[in-house]
Order: sequence, then structure tokens, then C-alpha cells
Amino acid sequence: MRESEMIICRCEEVTYQELLDTAITYSCSARELKLRTRAGMGYCGGRTCRSIVDQVAKQVGSEQSKKNISLKYQAPIRPVNFVDLGGEGK
Amino acid sequence: MNNVIIIGSGPAGLTAAITCAQKGLEVSVIDEYMKPGGRLLGQLYEQPDGSWWNGINESKKLFQQAVNLGVQFYLETPVFNIEKKDSLWVVYTDKETFQTTNLLLATGAAEAPVPIPGWTLPGVMSIGAAQIMTNVHRVKPGNRGLIIGINVLSSAIAMELKLAGVDIACLALPKNNQITHESAHPKKVLDSLLHVAHMAPSTFVKLGSKLMKNNFMKELGVTFYPRNGVKMWDIPIQLKKAVIEIYGEQEVEGVTIASISSKGEVIEGSEENIAVDFVCIAGGLYPLAELAALTGCPFHYIEELGGYVPLHNEQMMTPVEGLFVAGNITGIEGAKVAAAQGKIAGLSIAKRSGKHQLDEDLKDAVQQGADTRKNAYIQFHPEVDSGRRRIQEEWEEYLVNNTVQFF
Ligand SMILES: Cc1cc2nc3c(=O)[nH]c(=O)nc-3n(C[C@H](O)[C@H](O)[C@H](O)COP(=O)(O)OP(=O)(O)OC[C@H]3O[C@@H](n4cnc5c(N)ncnc54)[C@H](O)[C@@H]3O)c2cc1C
Repeated sequence: MRESEMIICRCEEVTYQELLDTAITYSCSARELKLRTRAGMGYCGGRTCRSIVDQVAKQVGSEQSKKNISLKYQAPIRPVNFVDLGGEGK
Repeated sequence: MNNVIIIGSGPAGLTAAITCAQKGLEVSVIDEYMKPGGRLLGQLYEQPDGSWWNGINESKKLFQQAVNLGVQFYLETPVFNIEKKDSLWVVYTDKETFQTTNLLLATGAAEAPVPIPGWTLPGVMSIGAAQIMTNVHRVKPGNRGLIIGINVLSSAIAMELKLAGVDIACLALPKNNQITHESAHPKKVLDSLLHVAHMAPSTFVKLGSKLMKNNFMKELGVTFYPRNGVKMWDIPIQLKKAVIEIYGEQEVEGVTIASISSKGEVIEGSEENIAVDFVCIAGGLYPLAELAALTGCPFHYIEELGGYVPLHNEQMMTPVEGLFVAGNITGIEGAKVAAAQGKIAGLSIAKRSGKHQLDEDLKDAVQQGADTRKNAYIQFHPEVDSGRRRIQEEWEEYLVNNTVQFF
């Protein structure tokens, strides 16, 4: 397997090359890179690829933030059943 | 209501729970794992004085002490959201919703990924997963493995795997790309490896740590680094080889490894295949601070502490009223430091709950924390002290423009 084909976001099947190309083409921040490629927006909430998306945006994109988390966290931070989320599970 | 909820039952959370309960608070501990102890559970190594640090026993002791003091435990209970409503914290789990006046986040650390072509094959796992399988569940991750990433954690776990009778082909670097950069650079890795030198019986590494104080010597050290690697606990450490691919049809069958220059560039034609049935990826640790991020607590990126950490002071308070942090969420360090921080947080929470005459105790606990750091056997970043100073400075700067509700 070539490095370019390597999958970075497993949930949304985003490759390394796709992240690099997007970050370079649009000079992305981490957030923009996420929104454009959907990397980190799948079922797991980016638990594996978050730091890679961040890293790519820092290395070849435009991400510079030191004082704020570059990729925002949003609840739920763990996968939850809809019944539990809606309070019907209890 | 004089209560506290602690999220995370690692050494920080358990020690904080014990401290709060001793001061008469009503304490609940919530953890998503099925056993209390956090990352302490997987730890097993010989200390400089020759005694063994057995994380399972240490966890049991702490857990028993907490239970005896009346601490309530909710295990297998992931917290998926926290929120402040009026002056109370609301803690959401898929079982119950809890409320509390004081909330302590002791959620520890997570492992950073290192992408390598083939890393999605079954049989590839993080180094921490291999540690938990072996030391906690007593299941061999495989018969012969290879570890990608050379750092304190991977060297320590390589030794643990070896103790369990698992063969480790070698520790090697990841191939250099836009993501791996420093961890794929032999000189940078050697730099940080010198700090585990005291753990290695190899004369080369021991000698190295004294000789390679300056950059020039380090350059030489990498240039003349033996092609066959240096052995630690009989496992080859390959600072001048990088894994370029993990291969296999349905699962891991082996890896392709190549020689690299001292700058980390692959030397064409040096590729060879090594047959293994599992691969561990060791990308280092970062503070697991997702819950703190939901509260609007300010964060700072501090490399020496492992990444983004929630703003906090020496007493483990955050600027968000009633929100405390302790352990690896504040920076990556060993279990003893995490426990010492747990004690500080526990005392701070007791103080906020109106318990009197804790100032001396608190001062002593802060001092004890600093001493524990100084004498720590495992250090994840050589400059952790300066990282700690940085966050304290950020705190003081924050106080200039903001008001924080102290006790
Ligand atoms: C893989 C790995 C190996 C390590 N090996 C060593 C070692 O050999 N020696 C050493 O000194 N240090 C080691 N460390 C460092 C380790 O983090 C500290 O030693 C220590 O365990 C940190 O304690 P803590 O209490 O801060 O967090 P932890 O011990 O990590 O405990 C945190 C707990 O919080 C729980 N948690 C997290 N998020 C949630 C949530 N949303 N809901 C519910 N529960 C949650 C977790 O399940 C966990 O039990 C290792 C760390 C890792 C990640």
C-alpha cells in the first residue's frame, strides 16, 4: 500500500493524500480541514484521527492556535444510544 | 449539599477520593472502565531500589481504602457530557444523571496515533492496548511483535511484554512524513531516549547518556549508531531503521523496514521484510481533556506537558467555579505524581466545601507534589518542570484580567 492511500479517518474513510491536498489547496485551519474532508466527523467523534488532522493543519495548512483547542469538542464525547440521549432508556 | 463527583478512577481520582472522604465529604467516583485503577493497572516494573511496582496491587490498595471510607463507585459508566446549571454541575452518563457542587476531572491521558501504511489491518494496536491485554487481561497480543515508536512508554512496555514471554522483533521509528516528523528523526528520538538511559542495562546507552550531553556528541552518536541497533533487555532498539509499511492479506503478517539517514530519510534499496503477527504503535501520550473543553475552561498548548491542558493553578483549581483537575489531564507524568496531585485536589475541594484549617495541609501537599516530581523514576518529558512553570505563569496572567472565585 502506498502512503498516499493510507486511511487517516476510519469512520469517514479519508486518506492521507486527501488531507494533504485539501490543507495545501485551501491553506486550512484544523477546523476547516475537518469540515472540508469530514475527517473526525464520523461515529467515533474523531477519537483516533483528531491529533493527525491537527498536525496536518499545523504542518502544511494555516493552523497556529496555542491558546485555544484548535478542534472544538462537542457533547456527546462518547457514543450514546438515542434512547439514553432522549431519556427513554431509564 | 457537601459533595464531590470525581470522573476517573486512576491514581489521581482514587487519591482525591480518599482525601475528600477523610475530610468528611460525600464522594462518588465515575469511570467508564470495568475496573478501578486507570492506567495504573497496566504498570509493572522494577524500581531503582530493586522493589517491583505492581500497578494491580497499588490499584487494589487505593480502591479498598476508598471503599472503606464510604466512597461510592460507578464503574462501566462513561460520562458523555457535563454542564453547569445554576451553581450545580450536571454529569450525564448513559445510566444516570448526577448533580454535584464540586467536580474533579481526573480523566488521565490518551495515546497519540501514528499513521503507517497498513495500520488499519487487524493485529495493529496501540502500545497501551498491548499493555492492558498482557498485564491486566493476561492475554498475549500475539507471539511475535514489532513496536513502532521509540519513547519512554514503548521501552517500558517492551520490557513488560518480554516478561510475559512475548517475542519482540525490535523497536523501530515510524517513516518520516508530515505527521510523524519529530518521532521519525533519529537525533530527536535519541535526545529523549537519553532520559530513559537509567532504566537500561546496556553499557552503550549508559555511556551514551553521559557522553552525549552536547549536540555535537549526539550527532556523532546517531552517525555511528550501530546498524544492528542497541539492545535493551535483549530487544534491539533500531534508531536508524524505520517501518515503511505493515503488510498482510486479512491481518498483520509482517512489516517492511528500511535503513534511514541520521535525518530520517529512507535509504533506497535497504528495505527488508520482518515476519510478525502483531504490531504496536507508540505515538506518545496527550492529556485527555475533552470534558474540561466542554465547560469553556481556557486551555493552553504546552509541549512539555503533552499538548493542550486546561488552565489550572498549583491547588488544582481551574478558573471555572467548582471545577478541579488532577493527574495526567494537567500534563503527562508518572502515576506517583498523579496521586500527589489527587491529594492536592482533594484538599482544595474540602477547603471549598468549608472545611477549616487546611491551609497548612494544602501547602505541604503542594510541596510533596513537587518533591515527587523531582524524584520521579519515569519522566515523559525532560522539561516537565518548565511546562509546570508555564501553566502557573499563564494562570497568573489570567488573574490580571479576570476574576476567579476562590474558596
Ligand atoms: C497506555 C499508557 C501506559 C502508561 N504506562 C505508564 C507506566 O508504565 N508508568 C507510569 O508511571 N505511567 C504510565 N502511564 C502514565 C499514566 O497516565 C499515569 O501513570 C497515571 O495512570 C495517570 O493517572 P490519572 O489518574 O491521571 O489517569 P488514569 O490512570 O489514566 O485514569 C483515568 C481514568 O479516567 C477514566 N475516564 C476517562 N474519561 C472518562 C469519561 N469520559 N467517563 C468516564 N471515565 C473516564 C478512564 O477510564 C481511566 O480509568 C501510562 C499511560 C498510558 C495512557
